[in-house]
Amino acid sequence: MAATTAISTATAAAEEARLLRLEEQAEHGGGGAWEYLSLARRLRARRPAPVLRLGLSLLNDASARSRLASEQWTLYEQVAVAAMDCQRVDVAKDCIGVLSKQFPGSTRVGRLEALLFEAKGDWAEAERAYALILENNPFDQIAHKRKIAIAKAQGDMSVAVDYLNKYLELFMADHDAWRELAEIYVSLQMYKQAAFCYEELILAQPTIPLYHLAYAEVLYTLGGLENLQTAKKYYASTIQLTGGKNTRALFGVCLCSAAISQLTKGRNKEEDSSELQSLAAEALLKDYKQRSPSKEALIAGMLKNMKLS
Amino acid sequence: MGIGYVVGVLGGALLAHAAYATIQYRAVLKITEEEFSRPPVDVMMQLLLGLALCMWAGVSVPAKFVSVLPHSEENRIVSLPANMDFMIFNHRGRALPSDADLKLKI
Repeated sequence: MAATTAISTATAAAEEARLLRLEEQAEHGGGGAWEYLSLARRLRARRPAPVLRLGLSLLNDASARSRLASEQWTLYEQVAVAAMDCQRVDVAKDCIGVLSKQFPGSTRVGRLEALLFEAKGDWAEAERAYALILENNPFDQIAHKRKIAIAKAQGDMSVAVDYLNKYLELFMADHDAWRELAEIYVSLQMYKQAAFCYEELILAQPTIPLYHLAYAEVLYTLGGLENLQTAKKYYASTIQLTGGKNTRALFGVCLCSAAISQLTKGRNKEEDSSELQSLAAEALLKDYKQRSPSKEALIAGMLKNMKLS
Repeated sequence: MGIGYVVGVLGGALLAHAAYATIQYRAVLKITEEEFSRPPVDVMMQLLLGLALCMWAGVSVPAKFVSVLPHSEENRIVSLPANMDFMIFNHRGRALPSDADLKLKI
């Protein structure tokens, strides 16, 4: 269960490479536009410009559209959102027009129309549209989330945090919302609260190394001996989950151990995990040697300054 | 792939033959009025061999196995999806002019 959710919510290396390859291929007229659009939708990748271009070329081609049959409506929706993201309100409006003709009275189309108000910056009108949706269905998660996004777009972070906390009381299992809250807290430099959100995320999806990494970073930023030691452990678990391929985690272990040794200078009683940092430093050096030999000397010098290698 | 199929069919046939042999054996036992305790040794051998062949075919015929380990190279997670439910439109997209002849033809 945990593994399947992890796969459905985060992008593995192979799939990301496939997405980029398909994008390249489709942009150069090599076909595969529909596969690219499906993959982008599945991975929830935000790549509005290519999606808009390729999606419109499919939608404007009558034979391609008829081949998609009922899938074309999903494509209209995807293209509409991409068009709003590119500030092409006219294209989005046309797509939504087609959809509302096909599905009159649909909530999903109603949400798109509200999103269009947002794209235009017409906040009052968007709020009204979401309020209408919530009146019909008070548990419409997307409408709740959009209201939070409106507050965020207006730069009103404290209101957004307020709404998000209220939302999370209702829908505690929504990890996207936890992640959003964590990111907002980090942007507001409220690291203690952000750390709590990341703990929640790690509990929900323990196999995603990026949450371990983010938690470690928040703890490192908070500082203090205890936090640094915990941060080092989470950097280490990130290294374990990524198979040592995450440079940021390797640097994190080095920085944490340097900071810890500086804090405990003089009373050096236990040098328990000295092997960890020297191994991390070694892995970093090897990585740089392989991928960017010109910067290897810099890294070696830095690690020497931290007395790690 | 081809060999896997042949082995699988062979294993299935062996199992079917073992079942048939057991039924025959029981029929013989009924005539000689003896108690049935377990099938004869050659049938047991057929059963084991058929099981082994079917298992081998079951593992080898479907395509390559997909790794389930979270830290394996294929499953290594490199990025989180864009948080589309919370996306906002205040970004450089506003300043970047997009191609004007991109239009939906209705």
